[in-house]
Amino acid sequence: MTFAIFLEQVINGIIIGSMYALIGSGIALIYGTMRVLNLAHGEFYMLGGYFIFFLAVTYGVPSWLAIPVAVFATFILGVLIQRLTIHYLLEKEGWLFSTIAVTLGLSIFLQNAALLMFGEQFQSVPYYIDGMVEIGSIRLPLQRLLIFVVAVITIAAMTFILKKTRLGWAIRATSQDRDAAAVVGIPAHRIYLITFGIAGALGAIAAAMLAPIYAINPWSGLPILLKGFVVVILGGLGSFPGAIVGGLFLGVVEAIGVQLTSSEWRDVIAFALMIAVIWWRPWGLFGKKPS
Amino acid sequence: MPDTAMLQVRDLNVLYGDYQVLWDVSMEVGQGEVVAVLGPNGSGKSTVLKAIMGLAPVKSGAVMFEGKDLTKVPTHEMVGLGISMVLERRRLFSQMTVRENVLLGAYHRSVNKETKSRLEWVENMFPILAERRDQVAGRMSGGEQQMVAIARSLMSKPRLLLMDEPYLGLAPRIVKQIADMIKRVNQEGITVIFNEQNVQLSFGLSDRGYLLEGGRVVLSGTGDEMIHSDVIRRVYLGA
Amino acid sequence: MFQPLKSWQWLLIATAIVVMALVPLVTRNSYLLHVFILTMIFGIFASAWNLVTGFAGLKTFGHHAFFGIGAYASALISINAGLSPWLTVWIAALVATVFGLFIGLPILRINSMPHVAIVTLGFAEIVRIVISNLQSITRGELGLWGIPAFEGFNLPWIGEVNFTPADKLPYYYLILVLLIASVAVIALIMRSRTGLAMIAMRDAEEAAESLGVNLTRQKLLVFGVSAFLVGVAGAFYAHYISILTPTAAVGIDLMILVIAMALVGGLSTLSGPLVGALILTGAVELMRDLDDYRLLVYGAMVILIVMFLPKGLVTLAPMLTRRFASHSSS
Repeated sequence: MTFAIFLEQVINGIIIGSMYALIGSGIALIYGTMRVLNLAHGEFYMLGGYFIFFLAVTYGVPSWLAIPVAVFATFILGVLIQRLTIHYLLEKEGWLFSTIAVTLGLSIFLQNAALLMFGEQFQSVPYYIDGMVEIGSIRLPLQRLLIFVVAVITIAAMTFILKKTRLGWAIRATSQDRDAAAVVGIPAHRIYLITFGIAGALGAIAAAMLAPIYAINPWSGLPILLKGFVVVILGGLGSFPGAIVGGLFLGVVEAIGVQLTSSEWRDVIAFALMIAVIWWRPWGLFGKKPS
Repeated sequence: MPDTAMLQVRDLNVLYGDYQVLWDVSMEVGQGEVVAVLGPNGSGKSTVLKAIMGLAPVKSGAVMFEGKDLTKVPTHEMVGLGISMVLERRRLFSQMTVRENVLLGAYHRSVNKETKSRLEWVENMFPILAERRDQVAGRMSGGEQQMVAIARSLMSKPRLLLMDEPYLGLAPRIVKQIADMIKRVNQEGITVIFNEQNVQLSFGLSDRGYLLEGGRVVLSGTGDEMIHSDVIRRVYLGA
Repeated sequence: MFQPLKSWQWLLIATAIVVMALVPLVTRNSYLLHVFILTMIFGIFASAWNLVTGFAGLKTFGHHAFFGIGAYASALISINAGLSPWLTVWIAALVATVFGLFIGLPILRINSMPHVAIVTLGFAEIVRIVISNLQSITRGELGLWGIPAFEGFNLPWIGEVNFTPADKLPYYYLILVLLIASVAVIALIMRSRTGLAMIAMRDAEEAAESLGVNLTRQKLLVFGVSAFLVGVAGAFYAHYISILTPTAAVGIDLMILVIAMALVGGLSTLSGPLVGALILTGAVELMRDLDDYRLLVYGAMVILIVMFLPKGLVTLAPMLTRRFASHSSS
């Protein structure tokens, strides 16, 4: 393997990793604020992808409009799911398990609803942008570069929201201490709704960017969900910055691992890495050990 | 006993699951008072404050605050009515800075527009807040955290301040500082209800007190009356 | 929950066993027997999952790994080593147990339900992908076929017993015996001192309290037993169905089905998973014409049960009888 090919793979790893980061950060946000493990997170990705497909391909809406509309639609879907299911379970005994179980049910339900409505064939979206860039000996399709740029913008926007806005402060306060947040006047339930919506939107952004490369079908969500889980374990469950770093890290490790073995072992590498991390550092690779 | 009570707790019963923590608890607090809720560990004194704030499952009874029943108000709307609380063990947003913690105290829409003037007022009262503004709250000492917690609770311009075990886990020197702080808060016209296990410590500060045992009010009165009561001796010494 | 069984409960158990044993006298319809056989395979699977999830309080989502390991191990050993399925079923179950202990150890170290859920899911995915990728051994998604059936034998009074696809009867009785044995093992564990302590721990843990009791070793043991039982169910499945694919034998759909069964019937009860297995396997077959809607209905069922009947259908029975009793007395 020449160094150029190696470097190209690492760059591809970072690009895919930036999408893993978006998926993982959605899972992390939901877990961080309400301690709910969302097994239906992959379906945000899957349905977001279908929204893009129908808007951009079936109805020919230009992609600069189709993507925001699809992302917003997935936001609403997230809000609805939270309000109709999780909302009622959070107050009840055994919520830790019942919320996991209900999102499992939601996942199967949404997958099969998509199957009935959209069929099982793969649907793909054309590249948003054609052409290649050449940096030294490395050739990179502009589409892939676009993925990375969108990821960086999304992460920067999320960081801004979390750090600088009233909403972001409320989200962080609720995740750190729900009762104390309520005491200062933050309505936890509304924050939960919005958080679920944001997580859905992040999934839809990832779907929008990956749809031209990986086609969408009703089962597209599951592998994405599992990747998201690896990411949050690497970064420490519930940590937004951890999920970003974890996503990039996973992308690179997979890219190098695939070079050393072959692409069918990609997922095994990811899961084995996750189990190793759980064994050695259950609080995540980059986080600090909780006292 | 005050003529017009600002806060009236009437026959309050609180159950966690099947476990009853408070039994027909009643108390009254007048405008401008400092009232102590006393009792040994597990007597339910913390639950009284939590129940007023809507943080404990009230089964029956009422909490009337200026004519309004608080048991029907969600916790996050309490600040809008002029009620604030310092939770047990400070409960700061530990990964946020001192400044962020304090500013969050004015999150509610009723005071959000006055954030700037409130901040000036609070920082004037506690200069340490300005000095330490960028420090992460979780890395401060217990006493400093308690100061931040009190400051945060004052940001919302409360007329009633609930303090759940304000002295818990603090060194005696710090306890005195916190007590001074509570006095100053009270001098600003803010009514204070706090709970504490140590009776002597409490009456350095409060006008009146209620003693709880096993979730029931067993004694109430002024500091002098209570300190010399046999009931206190029985509850605390088991004599 | 675990007082000594009352006589009416013994009667109920005895009746259930007798009814199940007599089914073939009423019908020899091989399709119907097939449905019952599947029900009992899933009955073992769901009960064993309930043992760790409902009783021991370890919420795992990866038990389909042990089903697949049991199925493939038994099939591969019997094919390649020429050993009798009567033997390989147990070897395979032991293999599943070893893997169970291997993954049980790290998840017992972490006292966090979401971590456990994620790790077990990931572990099962590893197993599925490895089986799928090792095509030279397992033939991957093409399917592993030519799995030998159980050898026949002679029974006094009854005569020759042959395991052939045409006659479901021997399979029916074999899986019935395995089911009864599995449920008995689970009941014994849960009614032992360890089991009672475990239930106490589970309830305390949910309230985020620590009793200072360390049951790690016992929990690991229970996890191993559970993996063993699921492995047996998987191994039986392999020799009964006689063709395996990673999707059918280790797919996540399998786990979802089992979780749905336990939830619908009632988590943390002995009969719940069995009732759930009966209802859902029956429902699968009834909905054969509506096959496309099958998983949609499962998903909806899980959602509705969790939302509105979190303790499952079996808890409805005492509620209904009580209501009925109070009506008739008044």
